[in-house]
Amino acid sequence: MTALLNAIVLAANTDNFHPQDEFDLPAWISIHVGPLDLSVNKAVVYLWIGGLATILFCVWIMRFGLSLTPSRRQTTGEALYDAVQSQIVETSLPSRAISTWFPYVASLFFFIWILNLIGFIPLPISNDTFHIAGLKVPTWGIYAATANLSVTLALALITFLATHEEGIRHNGVRGYFRSWIPAGVPKSLLPLIVPLEVISQFMRLISLSVRLFANMLAGHMLILVMIGLIFIFSSYAIAVIAIPAAIAVYIFEVAIVVTIQAFVFALLSAIYIGGAVEPEH
Amino acid sequence: MSVLLAAASGDLPKLGKAIAFGVGVGLGAVGAGIGIGNIFGSMIQAVARQPELRGELTGIQWLGFALTEAVVFYALLGGLLAYVLV
Repeated sequence: MTALLNAIVLAANTDNFHPQDEFDLPAWISIHVGPLDLSVNKAVVYLWIGGLATILFCVWIMRFGLSLTPSRRQTTGEALYDAVQSQIVETSLPSRAISTWFPYVASLFFFIWILNLIGFIPLPISNDTFHIAGLKVPTWGIYAATANLSVTLALALITFLATHEEGIRHNGVRGYFRSWIPAGVPKSLLPLIVPLEVISQFMRLISLSVRLFANMLAGHMLILVMIGLIFIFSSYAIAVIAIPAAIAVYIFEVAIVVTIQAFVFALLSAIYIGGAVEPEH
Repeated sequence: MSVLLAAASGDLPKLGKAIAFGVGVGLGAVGAGIGIGNIFGSMIQAVARQPELRGELTGIQWLGFALTEAVVFYALLGGLLAYVLV
């Protein structure tokens, strides 16, 4: 037993395995505007690709060649539109806010969905390089822009600001902030309830952004660690277990988590905005 | 692996932190596991009793799943913060 432990410790000692390096973001093109750091790094490049892919995908699927006898492409587009409309928007937004906020919620869903999916396609966008035939080539790696708290926090902030703007626009300042307090609360409890409600508004911001961020981070980490087990134990025998395990995690992430997280982010955004437009009392 | 390294080198604070991190995230996973099991169990029961409601229930099911699952990640994130900062 002790011999085995020593062997493991030795194996771990000799190899440098740092899966977290995948999430380092050194600046590739340094841009500083006053106190703002607008440098281009890996996450920014992934965001560009994601934004471009979202626009191209949505234009391709819905914007031309529509007919009364729909092609397969048009059927898929209509099914996606219908899914967003019936599952996300109509269940959570009041009818008078649907026309204003349907585009936002649908874009949010498609943008996050495609960003997440791109995160599981190995792309030659990486900080490390290797030499092949005398050429310096970036190593192929998986990285998701949504596995970065800044990206998800920015998206959550848009929802957060939109929520309160809509609440105030539809109910007035007084009416909106009064609606935060549950009906029928005795006056003596107000000093306890008001801070709680204010905190819960900010907790939404944290939970919305951290949920997406941590899900994607944990998914990528799991795949990297599974494959990294081979290098930690520096033995190919581990690959018999590690590779199938990594593939299983990969399939779970691509088949379920990617879509669910985009769906939940869009649905919660719609619920928050809908709740502000039409408070329950 | 860092647990074994720390044990071998006698680095007790690091060892303790690694164990605390593991146990903390594990306990978080227990709670979320029970919750997710409850959600899918109730979903199966509901669909078995009223199959025609499946479409409406699916959205609620996935929302509940994601809200519950996120609890593990709060534990993971809190644990990581404690591990890195303390």
